[in-house]
Amino acid sequence: MASPQTNGDLWLKDLTKTFGDFAAVDHIDLHIPQGSFFALLGPSGCGKTTTLRMIAGLEEPTSGKVLIGDLDITYAKAYDRPVNTVFQNYALFPHMDIFENIAFGLRRRNVSDLDKKVKDVLELIQLSHLARRKPAQLSGGQQQRVALARAIVNQPAVLLLDEPLGALDLKLRREMQVELKRIQMEVGLTFIHVTHDQEEAMSMADTIAVMNNGVVEQLGAPLDLYERPATQFVASFLGQTNTLQGTVVGPDGDFTVVDTACGRLRLPRTELTGSVALGVRPEKIEFAQTAVSGVPDGANVVEGVVTDASFIGVSTQYIVRLRNEQEIAVFEQNLLFGRRALVGDQVTLFWDPRHSFALAAQ
Amino acid sequence: MNAPVVPVPAAGVQAVRSTKAGTRRRWTPYLLLLPGLLWLGIFFIIPLASLLMQSLQTPVPNGLAGQFQQTWRFQNYIDTLSQPNFYNAMIRSFTYSFIATVLALLIAYPLAYAIALRAGRAKPLLLVLVVAPFFVSFILRTIAWKQVLGAEGPVVSTLQALHLVQQNFTIYPSSAAVIAGLTYNFLPFMTLPIFASLDRLDTRLVEAANDLYAGNLVAFRKVTLPLTMPGVVAGTLLTFIPASGDYINSELLGGSVNTTMIGKVIDSRFLVLSDYPAASVLSFTLMSIILAAVWLYVRKAGTEELV
Amino acid sequence: MARQEMDSQVSALRSMMSRRGFFGAAGAVGAASVLAACGTGGGSANPSASFPADTSAADKLVRWANWTLYLDVDKGKYPTLETFKKQTGINVDYREDVDDNNSFWGKVNGQLRTRKDIGYDIVTLTDWMANRMIQYGYTQPLDAAKVPNKSNILTALANVAFDPGRQRTLTWQSGFAGLVWNKEKLPKGLKTIDDLWQPALKGKVTVLSEMRDTVGCLLLSQGVDITKPISDAQFATALELLSKQLSSGQIYKVQGNQYKNDLINGTAWAGILWSGDIFQLNAENGDKWGFALPESGGTLWSDNMMIPSTSSHQTDAMKLMNYYYEPAVAAKVAAYVNYICPVQGAQAEMEKIDPKLAASEFIFPSADTLARAKTFVGLEAAQETSFNDQWLTAIGQ
Repeated sequence: MASPQTNGDLWLKDLTKTFGDFAAVDHIDLHIPQGSFFALLGPSGCGKTTTLRMIAGLEEPTSGKVLIGDLDITYAKAYDRPVNTVFQNYALFPHMDIFENIAFGLRRRNVSDLDKKVKDVLELIQLSHLARRKPAQLSGGQQQRVALARAIVNQPAVLLLDEPLGALDLKLRREMQVELKRIQMEVGLTFIHVTHDQEEAMSMADTIAVMNNGVVEQLGAPLDLYERPATQFVASFLGQTNTLQGTVVGPDGDFTVVDTACGRLRLPRTELTGSVALGVRPEKIEFAQTAVSGVPDGANVVEGVVTDASFIGVSTQYIVRLRNEQEIAVFEQNLLFGRRALVGDQVTLFWDPRHSFALAAQ
Repeated sequence: MNAPVVPVPAAGVQAVRSTKAGTRRRWTPYLLLLPGLLWLGIFFIIPLASLLMQSLQTPVPNGLAGQFQQTWRFQNYIDTLSQPNFYNAMIRSFTYSFIATVLALLIAYPLAYAIALRAGRAKPLLLVLVVAPFFVSFILRTIAWKQVLGAEGPVVSTLQALHLVQQNFTIYPSSAAVIAGLTYNFLPFMTLPIFASLDRLDTRLVEAANDLYAGNLVAFRKVTLPLTMPGVVAGTLLTFIPASGDYINSELLGGSVNTTMIGKVIDSRFLVLSDYPAASVLSFTLMSIILAAVWLYVRKAGTEELV
Repeated sequence: MARQEMDSQVSALRSMMSRRGFFGAAGAVGAASVLAACGTGGGSANPSASFPADTSAADKLVRWANWTLYLDVDKGKYPTLETFKKQTGINVDYREDVDDNNSFWGKVNGQLRTRKDIGYDIVTLTDWMANRMIQYGYTQPLDAAKVPNKSNILTALANVAFDPGRQRTLTWQSGFAGLVWNKEKLPKGLKTIDDLWQPALKGKVTVLSEMRDTVGCLLLSQGVDITKPISDAQFATALELLSKQLSSGQIYKVQGNQYKNDLINGTAWAGILWSGDIFQLNAENGDKWGFALPESGGTLWSDNMMIPSTSSHQTDAMKLMNYYYEPAVAAKVAAYVNYICPVQGAQAEMEKIDPKLAASEFIFPSADTLARAKTFVGLEAAQETSFNDQWLTAIGQ
């Protein structure tokens, strides 16, 4: 295997793939450090799978480059690059047993010590006892692990996972998320995980690239993406967001003041001017005891009427209609016996301005 | 059907009902099988037995042509099969159909591959084209081949114009023309099952093989081919079996003595000569050899191992 | 006429299915099932000569089995047959059920033997099969009073060996087998059978798979009178000649009327073939081929109408036969089918329809030509079997 002597970081440089007039992937630049667990997150059709296939060599880019360290693999054949893939639905060879499935890549490269390598990886995925079974005789979760083993046994510079957990039920998916993370830590390979499931991406990845319409909307650690979404899309794709339209009035210390229909509100300093949208997550908003007391100094305050309240166990979800008739969501953690407010109550809401974020107006 | 005979206690109404239901359930599969078994019995087993019996008959002394009596004369087999005309035609039939099967496979596999995996939107159209010859009678198609391969037909004329062959060169009639005809006529039977298996093939498996360092050729040999073996086996059987018994091609595209296939011999002995025992001996032998060959082949190809 | 309008597809179909073209589409497996389905077993020989009572008066019906494309047809109807129905009030169930003498025999001989109605009141079979039908007692005699037009039959056909005086059969249509050659390749033509063996024709000669026509012409060329009983030795000598020419490759193929394609595509330059086909070919492809009876003589074959022993519509059947022996009716049929018309006086009637056809030697041969055409002797059952066996072996079957 071409184990790169140089740095094994993966670079996508100005990578583009068009199908006819449609740009599936539109001038993407990404740097994925060696050994990281990287997620490409986005809705179906956003270009994440096409990106993955270009890295795997299953799709040829229209323009741009794919590099591993200094090694340009843009046009290298799939079988010629140190990249392996865990396919959606696994793509295990139905006519070969588990052992042969896993040994497939090793045999192609006449790797010595094949037996031991296969046995080691079977142990890693805890399926040594099923080595001579056919894939069809395995459960979905077991097949998933075989697909993973078949890829990692080759010690690729980059391991691609294409919606690897998509076919599993919820419970198994949570288990496998933990398992995947464990294995990634253990083998230390670069994992690039393509998914449309934001929770899956956030719980496993070090870094997430959120893709939409063929471009990377935002790149960052899960926490950053959640707390500081840069675009409306990211804000709404990762969790739930309330947005209030307004106009930038001017700076105020570390903050920028925005004039909205519900009053003046503050958000962390932004370069944006003119019309903006102020975003705040529902769980950041709190109920004030009364209109005058219980609101910390400097908090953003709005008033409204509760129009709906639903108790879902860990929290209660309220819908509050503001003065400008806009409805926002408010999640209150279930710390009290009973409710903060009833439908029809006039309420005062507040939140720490540092939890607001500015988004370009739509 | 013994359950309902058992004396039933007064409180056993429930039990009776369930026993009856159980009986019905047990018999249902056999009832469902019945039409198929009847069909098989009437159209296969009985004719087969009658064929076997007929092969062991001898002429009625002083009887009319076509009158035979059952004498269980196994010597018929030795007498018939020792005639050079007959065993030569038999060997020739298998040789021709074997070569035609191999050729058809070599043509059909890439063809089916292209249609199934590379044709895109043209796939339905190309499939229709594969089947299109069926819209014209088998015999007419073969006659058309005769025109194509004839002395003044396009193939020979072109070869002669290019000075690739001598002026008196002919393709028809010849063994080659017969084999070409067989190959052509049975090509759809080879193509369709292979197409079906290729069409069903999960191409992600090929991508997976590529991803796991297999070049295209190795991916084909290790993944595509083994997974489409059921289609290959079905196609070769659908070609080899009828081709062995076919004689239209040898009749139309062959010459005389040296290209006769066994089907023609059986036909002539049966219809022209009313020599039913000899025709039966040849039919039964032909069928037995084909069955044995198929059995060996299917075992060797090991299709039962495939998913 | 219809012939000129035929497109090539119909023409090809015709050559496949016409009077003498038989190709059972069944392969060996199909043949095997036919074979298996055909009950043989013992059984008495000739059924006694008692025939079903004639129900013609009460049940006005004739069921007629004939070859394909063997009766004038117009838009799915048979004009001459329609006229007959109108004239007599007899319903005719006309079926093109004969595509080969042997397979037709295979289909009906069991019922004939056990005297069960075969479903036909007239069957149309070739001389040698007519001979077999008569020998086996499977035909009913014709009543001369009910078929007065019988006397219109051509003299050459009136006294055939298998049915002297036409007691049980009447010719439907006839044809010759003789020498055929491509006029471009052989401008000088062919005169004798021996001309076929010239070196220039090596691999270019084809002969008929109809044993009586090919062997008949060879026997005639060896000075044997084929209208008289043929000895085993004479037959063997003729077959020897055939085998020699086959193994040397002079004759490239023994075949049925598929030879037409070979003539067209230049594979065959000459052969012992049928006159009727050559007439058609010349009409369709330009006057490219010559036909002549060899100097030593050619064969005259006929298909013959006869009433099978199981028919109970004898009188109606004879009325139909009589109708088709009216010269005017016979001419109408001949104008469509173009085989030799067996009815005297039809030539004069043809003048009114198409003078060109009336002058054709293929449809109305001269007395001189007819004198050189011989009908193969009716063979006795045992000899027929023996000859057929030898013949099949010689041609590789």
